[in-house]
Amino acid sequence: MTEQKAAVDVEEVKRMLDKHKAKMKLSLSLCAHCSLCAESCFLFNSHDNDPKYMPSYKFINSIGKIYKKKGKVDQAMLEEVAVNAWKRCVLCTRCYCPFGIDIPSMIALARSICRSQGVYPQYDE
Amino acid sequence: MEISNILTADFIYNLARGPLVWISLLICIIGSVARTLQLISYTRVKEIDTKADFSSIGKKPPAKKFSVKDIPGHIAALKNTILAISPVTILVSLCFHLCLIIVPVFLLAHNMLIDDAIGFSLFSFSETFSDVFTIVFLICGLFFLFRRIFLARVRAITTLYDYVVLLITVAPFLTGFLAYYQIFDYKTVIILHMLAGELMLIAIPFTKIFHMFFFFVGRFMLVNQHTIGNGSRTW
Repeated sequence: MTEQKAAVDVEEVKRMLDKHKAKMKLSLSLCAHCSLCAESCFLFNSHDNDPKYMPSYKFINSIGKIYKKKGKVDQAMLEEVAVNAWKRCVLCTRCYCPFGIDIPSMIALARSICRSQGVYPQYDE
Repeated sequence: MEISNILTADFIYNLARGPLVWISLLICIIGSVARTLQLISYTRVKEIDTKADFSSIGKKPPAKKFSVKDIPGHIAALKNTILAISPVTILVSLCFHLCLIIVPVFLLAHNMLIDDAIGFSLFSFSETFSDVFTIVFLICGLFFLFRRIFLARVRAITTLYDYVVLLITVAPFLTGFLAYYQIFDYKTVIILHMLAGELMLIAIPFTKIFHMFFFFVGRFMLVNQHTIGNGSRTW
């Protein structure tokens, strides 16, 4: 799914994280893990209610993972993130969070970080 | 003097009943105000692009005057909300949060203590009323716990932290209930009750419980698809 690149530029990832730190930190720390966003995702509905397609699961396991490691991520992890950020989400921005957490922008940021490190889906596969 | 001599039950009781209440209340209020202001400082007033006219995009139609004829339409519109999708969770959540605020603030025993301390207190509900609402709260708390344990979708994103936050929230109510009915040793339970309550107050600004303030900023002030009313700020 991804193009191989020698190493992840940790500094670049950190810089990208810092730019949106406030919003991201708050969103991640205040998500109550209530799972009420689940049904607002059409991919969740069309995959037999698989929790892996839940908007909160996707943003926790994409940008959340990168943030938890404070940007010190490796290629393998970015590839995992890419699955959540691309294959499980189409950024249709229809997800609904009772608190108003902006989930799509978090996932979009995870995509940007992956793309900056050369990890992105190859559509001709 | 040995520590065990100082840390007697009476000492902890007086500490928890007196200074710790004020300290935790201060931390709660100052912390919450500070964090809310910090949160607002992360946002800015949304600029309107004067050159391009995107005014029709993403704008809700102007509010119509309320009419009785529209009521069925309003009810039908609810079918796309989380209320219709998970009605039980939403209703339980509503009860949980209402009881969480109402019970401690309007509890007779709390108001008597406040009256003793500052000579002024809010009105109180009857003890039976508070009792019923505490039981409702505890049942709702149990519902959330079971939901976390048994529902795959909630389990998928649950961490230990979620259980801790639930425990911090429920503990004051559980110990208060036990103390009121003098189940177990009263003195121990009431000390635990006071400490649990103070812990919850301190936890409000610094843990997930801060969502009580984030909710109002996130849903009312920030502009997004699900803003309630006309938000004016953006990140």
